[in-house]
Amino acid sequence: MEVDRATTAAAAGGSSSSGAMAVDQASRRVEKPLFDALMPSEMSGGRPQFRKVAVPQHRFAPLKRCWMEIYTPVYEHMKVDIRMNLKARRVELKTRQDTPDVSNLQKCADFVHAFMLGFDIADAVALLRLDDLYVDSFEIKDVKTLRGEHLSRAIGRLSGKGGKTKFAIENSTRTRIVIADTKIHILGSFVNIKVARDSLCSLILGSPAGKVYSKLRAVSARLAERY
Amino acid sequence: MMAAADKGEAAMAQLRNADPALFLSPSADLAAAAREASQHIYSSLVTFSPAQPPPLPSLLAGPAFDAEQIWSQIELLARPLLPHLRRQLRRLEQQPPSQPQAAPRVESPAGAEEEQSEEDEEDSELEELKEEEEELEDSDDEDEMAEDDEEDEEELEDKGGNGVEDKFLKTKHLEEFLEQAEEEEYGGGAKRGEKKAKKNWMEEDSDDDDEGMEDDEDDEEDEDELDLEDFEDDEEEDEGKTGGDIMYKDFFEKESKQVKSRDSSMKKVQSRLKDMKMILMAVKMMMMMVMMMMMMMSEQDEQGLSTYEKERLKKRAEIEQMEKAVLEPSTWTMQGEVTASRRPKNSALEVDLDFEHNVRPAPIITEEVTASLEEMIKKRIAEGHYDDVEKPALLPTKAPKERKEMDESKSKKGLAELYEEDYAQKTGLAPAPLSISDELKKEANALFKRICLKLDALSHFHFAPKPVIEDMSIQANVPALAMEEIAPVAVSDAAMLAPEEIFDGKGDIKEDAELTQAERKRRRANKKRKYAESHKERPTKLQKDA
Repeated sequence: MEVDRATTAAAAGGSSSSGAMAVDQASRRVEKPLFDALMPSEMSGGRPQFRKVAVPQHRFAPLKRCWMEIYTPVYEHMKVDIRMNLKARRVELKTRQDTPDVSNLQKCADFVHAFMLGFDIADAVALLRLDDLYVDSFEIKDVKTLRGEHLSRAIGRLSGKGGKTKFAIENSTRTRIVIADTKIHILGSFVNIKVARDSLCSLILGSPAGKVYSKLRAVSARLAERY
Repeated sequence: MMAAADKGEAAMAQLRNADPALFLSPSADLAAAAREASQHIYSSLVTFSPAQPPPLPSLLAGPAFDAEQIWSQIELLARPLLPHLRRQLRRLEQQPPSQPQAAPRVESPAGAEEEQSEEDEEDSELEELKEEEEELEDSDDEDEMAEDDEEDEEELEDKGGNGVEDKFLKTKHLEEFLEQAEEEEYGGGAKRGEKKAKKNWMEEDSDDDDEGMEDDEDDEEDEDELDLEDFEDDEEEDEGKTGGDIMYKDFFEKESKQVKSRDSSMKKVQSRLKDMKMILMAVKMMMMMVMMMMMMMSEQDEQGLSTYEKERLKKRAEIEQMEKAVLEPSTWTMQGEVTASRRPKNSALEVDLDFEHNVRPAPIITEEVTASLEEMIKKRIAEGHYDDVEKPALLPTKAPKERKEMDESKSKKGLAELYEEDYAQKTGLAPAPLSISDELKKEANALFKRICLKLDALSHFHFAPKPVIEDMSIQANVPALAMEEIAPVAVSDAAMLAPEEIFDGKGDIKEDAELTQAERKRRRANKKRKYAESHKERPTKLQKDA
């Protein structure tokens, strides 16, 4: 089946004029040519595709620890080759022959990238499973220019005591948040990311946690009702 | 003198003959005639006045004189004259009739009969007067209705009665006629009753005066009618001799006297009584004329105008009066809203102001009120019937919203698992998760079971203890003896521990300060060795997989 398709494709590429002539000859009945979807391996001329994900310093040890948890879903379920390049400090991904979908590679790359940002495996795996999850990142300075103690206090406000504010936002909006010093990453669906981002921004701007909670409660109730 | 007398007579005749309707409107001729007539009568009566010489020899009734003035002059004469005349009448009655001429004319010859009546009855003088007037009336009747009398007498004679019966019938007939006339004029017996009452408890003089006054009143009312019957009616009323008041003795005994008197000296009495009556009548007429004059003289100025014009003038005067009243400022009570500055001082105190009190008057607290209140309170307390405001039970319109509590701890499930569960619920593979209410229900159930167990233990005769559910429970690392040992409280836990439990180690124990350099180094080397051993495994693992 695949060989035939290849030959026909070559034939079609070679003799496009004959096809046109065939169409011209049978002018009354026009048949649209039907082509099957291309396999990822056939795309880009049958060569495998690669993705490379850089590993930051602080994620090296966790990567080593959780390697198997990363490897298993990528290799087994997504059918994407994955390897760690220690010298270059990269994770490399490659499509195989039997990779079913084009997007699998990208998903795996996103998954690995999410792990590198700081998300847990359990959370990052959701990227592999669901299509409409995204990772949104922004910095505190994008919201408001803060310096020195104000910055520290803002970060403290964001996480709350023992991280309770962050967890509260996470639980109510069904997202996952990573606060890496001045960078903030949010993993979740588009709408949820928006809500989480709004609450985080309000926290950065200085509103107290209680206020944010009340807003969150209202919004999350609405979100829950919708779905 | 004669000319004056003629004039007076002529005037009287004129008045008598004038049409009654003319008296309604003022006319100068009639007024002048009235003056003349009154003057004539006055002059004729002045000789009889008791006070001689009379205070006023002749009546001054010129055109300049007011009706009031003329009236007062007449009153001046009439006031002493009338009682004097009456006294004379009485004297006439008392004195024997033997001296009719010598005695004054007014003497009554019927004294004998009167004496008899007095003896018999010994009543008050009222009856005498009644009798006198009856006699007068009788004489009048005879004068005017002679024929009728004769007829009556004939009838009576036919019956075969005495003169009594004649008298009886006649007087009765007269009375009926008079009553009828009275009813026509006065419309009932009210006046008669009043007069009767007055008669009964007043003296003669006062009665006389009343008679005179009543007569005047009658005259005033019936100005137009100059009927002599009026006088008769007055006399009749004054007497009080109506149908219901007549007594037996009045008729039969009097009639006998009257018969006797008539028999003895009828004619003489007649003449004298006539004169008396004439005098009385004259007096009354004068009074009446004066009243007429009063009416006429007041309107003498407007003789030339027609009735319509006169009425118009009257109306105009009224209108002017009313306009004046309206234009001038009314009293402060009629001005609507009035402040204190607009009304005289303290004027509100004099006026009885009426305004609504919108405030309930304060209750007067008496002992009874307080007692009643206390009784009510006690009763209410005993019943338990209070007036407390009770909150109405709010019915829940909709089910209480299940609020998800904000979980502030790190979620145990990963994001992927969350979505997995969501998907499973939607497709129906997994059951719905327990909501908060379910958890609460669970908790409630557990509590209730515990209570039930305790109650069963107390109440059931055959109690079966609940089956033991083996749970994973944490065992505290507490020394075994502590769990089961029953030691006195004073002994502390530290004292109960065995030496091995306090410290486990071996060899010579030395503190960090006591160690020598070599020993310290040895310790560090041991530590490193241990660490190296535990961490050796990892890199090998990595390498293997890669």
